[in-house]
Amino acid sequence: MAATASLKSSLLLPSPISDFSGAAVSVSAQKRRKSWQPRGARMQVSAVADSKNILVMGGTRFIGVFLSRILVKEGHQVTLFTRGKAPITQQLPGESDAEYAEFSSKVQHMKGDRQDFEFVKTSLTAKGFDVVYDINGREAVEVEPIIDALPNLEQYIYCSSAGVYLKSDLLPHCENDAVDPKSRHKGKLETESLLTSRGVNWTSIRPVYIYGPLNYNPVEEWFFHRLKAGRPIPIPGAGNQITQLGHVKDLAKAFNLVLGNPKASQQIFNISGAKYVTFDGLARACAMAGGFPEPELVHYNPKDFDFGKKKAFPFRDQHFFASIEKATRELGWTPEFDLVGGLTDSYNLDFGRGTFRKAADFTTDDMILGKKLATV
Amino acid sequence: MAFSAAAAAATSTATAFVSGHHRRLSSSSAPSPSFSQSTHPRAVAARRRRAALPASRAATVMTVRADAKTKKSVLIVNTNSGGHAIIGFYLAKELLAAGHAVTVLTAGDEASDKMRKPPFSRFEELRSAGGKTVWGDPADVGAAVAGGASSFDVVLDNNGKDLDAVRPVVDWAKSSGVGQFLFISSAGIYKPTDEPPHVEGDAVKESAGHVGVEKYVAEQQFGSWASFRPQYMIGSGNNKDCEEWFFDRIVRRRPVPIPGNGMQLTNISHVRDLSSMLALAVESPGAAAGKIFNCVSDRAVTLDGMARLCAAAAGVAVEIVHYDPAAVGVDAKKAFPFRNMHFYAEPRAAKEALGWASTTNLPEDLKERYAEYAGSGRGEKAMAFDIDDKILAAVGKAPASVIA
Repeated sequence: MAATASLKSSLLLPSPISDFSGAAVSVSAQKRRKSWQPRGARMQVSAVADSKNILVMGGTRFIGVFLSRILVKEGHQVTLFTRGKAPITQQLPGESDAEYAEFSSKVQHMKGDRQDFEFVKTSLTAKGFDVVYDINGREAVEVEPIIDALPNLEQYIYCSSAGVYLKSDLLPHCENDAVDPKSRHKGKLETESLLTSRGVNWTSIRPVYIYGPLNYNPVEEWFFHRLKAGRPIPIPGAGNQITQLGHVKDLAKAFNLVLGNPKASQQIFNISGAKYVTFDGLARACAMAGGFPEPELVHYNPKDFDFGKKKAFPFRDQHFFASIEKATRELGWTPEFDLVGGLTDSYNLDFGRGTFRKAADFTTDDMILGKKLATV
Repeated sequence: MAFSAAAAAATSTATAFVSGHHRRLSSSSAPSPSFSQSTHPRAVAARRRRAALPASRAATVMTVRADAKTKKSVLIVNTNSGGHAIIGFYLAKELLAAGHAVTVLTAGDEASDKMRKPPFSRFEELRSAGGKTVWGDPADVGAAVAGGASSFDVVLDNNGKDLDAVRPVVDWAKSSGVGQFLFISSAGIYKPTDEPPHVEGDAVKESAGHVGVEKYVAEQQFGSWASFRPQYMIGSGNNKDCEEWFFDRIVRRRPVPIPGNGMQLTNISHVRDLSSMLALAVESPGAAAGKIFNCVSDRAVTLDGMARLCAAAAGVAVEIVHYDPAAVGVDAKKAFPFRNMHFYAEPRAAKEALGWASTTNLPEDLKERYAEYAGSGRGEKAMAFDIDDKILAAVGKAPASVIA
C-alpha cells in the first residue's frame, strides 16, 4: 500500500522532502522558475541579487525552524528575535552535519522579550530590517513597536489563524468570509486591522491545524501516544466532524513564496492541506503513518463528562476547515504532503524516534472508557 | 449580492431565471475561438489571472454573443423525470441566450403525464427563445431528430445512468461526426472517503453505471469529451423536491427530522452553476477536453444548516430533531431526501481548467425559492407526514412544534 511504501522509503533514505538538504530547496526554486509568477514579482533564481535583511519574531520552535532554513538557503540575512529560552538552532533529524553547520553559522539572533515594547522599538530602530516575519505575535500591541521602528519596512508577513473565522453552516472558510470578533484569536484579527490601518505592506497567512516534526501542539502526537500504547481512541460525538491539517514544511514554503510577491500585498491566504479529514479518518491516518493496526474508536458525548481543565481531544468539536484555492491560484503554491504522507514524515522524524513534547496523559481517556465499561 | 441584483433586474419572468450571462470571469471582449484556446500553462495562468477577482464573489458578468464563427449546434438528450431534468432546461436557455442553436430531445412521449410537471411544462420558454423541442427514444436519436439540424457540434446526454441507455446515443453521435460529447454523470459514484471533499480523480465505484459510461465515452476519441458529476440542485422548474421538503415542514410549524447528528455535509447548488459550467465547456471544448468535472457549487452545507437556512428564508424558527433511522425502523431514503453521510465534492477542475466561478449563494437563493413556494399555495395544502410522525413518536416528540 502506498502509505507503507512511503514509510519504508523514508526510513531507508533521506528523501528530499523529509530532510533539509539543499535538494529540497532547489526543487522549490526550480518550480518557481517554471511557475507563472506575474510580471514584476520575484522571478529571481539567484539569491544574491535580491537578498533581504529579514527579522523573524520567534523562529526557534516550529514554523520558524523550517522557514528560517529556507530563507537562509535563499541567501537572505536572517535574524531570530527570541528570549533565548530555547536553543537558537538545533540540528534536525535527517539534517546533515554540513547542512546544519551552514545554517547555524549564518542565522543571527537578537535576544529580547517582545513584550518589552520599548526594547523592541529601540533595538529594531538601531538595526533596521527590510522584512519582518511575525510568527508568534498574538496581540496588536505587540506589533505596534515593530512598525514604529521600521518606517521603511518592505513587507510585514504575519502568521494569523483560520481560528478567526466565524463558525458557519457553509464551508469551507474562504478568505473574505465573516470573522468572529469574539474568537479567542481576536488578537490576530486586531493585528490584521492594525497593519491595514497603518498602511504597511502586509501579508497575513491563516493556517488551520499545523502538523509535522517538532509540533509543540499535541495534534498528531495525541494519537501516536494512544496508538503506541495500544489504547482505544476516544473521539467526541459521531467522529464525522471535519477538520484539516497542513504540514509545517508546506506552510514554510508558502511563507517564503509571499516574500516580495506583489500578489501577496495586503492579502490574506488560507494555508493548509489540499484535503480535509474526519476525526475518525484522522485516527486511521495516524495509525497508517506509524504502521499501527487499525485503531478501536470509542465515541462519547462530551456533555456527559466534566474534564476540568484537561483537554479530552485536541481539536475543536465542530467542522473547521478552509479553502486553499486562493493561495494555489495566486501564489502557484500547492501542498506537497498528503495527509498520510505528511503524518508519516512527522512520525519518522519525531515521535517514531522516541521524541515528543508532551508526555502521555490518559486521565480523560480513562474517565471516558471507565464510563463506557460501566454502562455495558 | 451585487451579481444577483443585476441578474434579477435582467429577468422578465417571476421565476428569476438568469439568461444570457456567463459565469466566466473573463476580461476579453470577444469570445475565444472555439478550438484554439491555448492550454499552454502560461496561457492558462494568464487567463486565470485575468479571471481572478481580488477576494470577491461579485462576478464581472459578460454577455457573450456567439458569432457565425463560434455559434454551436447543440443537442441535449434529456431525462423525462428526476433531479437532473432541470439541468437540460437551464443549459438550453443559457445556450439559446448566447446565440447557439439548441435542440432538446426529451426521452419518451410528448403526451406523457410526466410532461405536465416542470421543467417540461415550461418548454414553451425554450421554443420562444428559438430552441427546438422533440420527443423520442434515445436508443434511436437519428429518428428523433430527423428533419431537424443536419448535424450537431455538441451532444449532451443528460438522460442515461448506464451503458444500456447511453451507448446508443454515443454511437449515433460518433457516427454523425459530432465533435464534442458531454455526459451528465453523478458525484454519487465516488467511493466514500475519510478525506473529503471528493475531487476529480478520486476513486469511484467501478460497478456504477455512470462509470461504465464515462469509460465508454472516453474511448470513442471524440474531438472533445467531458463528464460532469452533479449533486443536489435547487432552482425554479426543478422536477424533484429539494428545499420544498424543508419548507413543507417549516411552514406547518412541524419539527424537521434529520438523521444522524445533522453534521453531514453536502452540496446543494443552484442549477445555474451547472448550466454555466456546461456552457463554458461548450464554448471552450479544448479546455474541457478529456476531463471530469464535479458539477457543484464551491460551498458545502450541513444538513442541519440547510434546515436553518430554509427556515431563515421563510422567516420562521425551526426545531430540528435528530434520529437514527435504523433504531426508529424507517427507510432512510423515504424519510429524508439526502444521503445520510458526508456527500461532498468540490468543483476544482472547472475552476482550474475553465476559469469557472460559482455563484450559488444559498442564503439568498433560498429566499427566492421560498418566495415561489409561498406563492404556489403548496404551503396550505393538506399533507400527510406519516414517516415524520413515526420518527417523532419514537424519539418522544410532539408533531407540532412548540415554537409559535
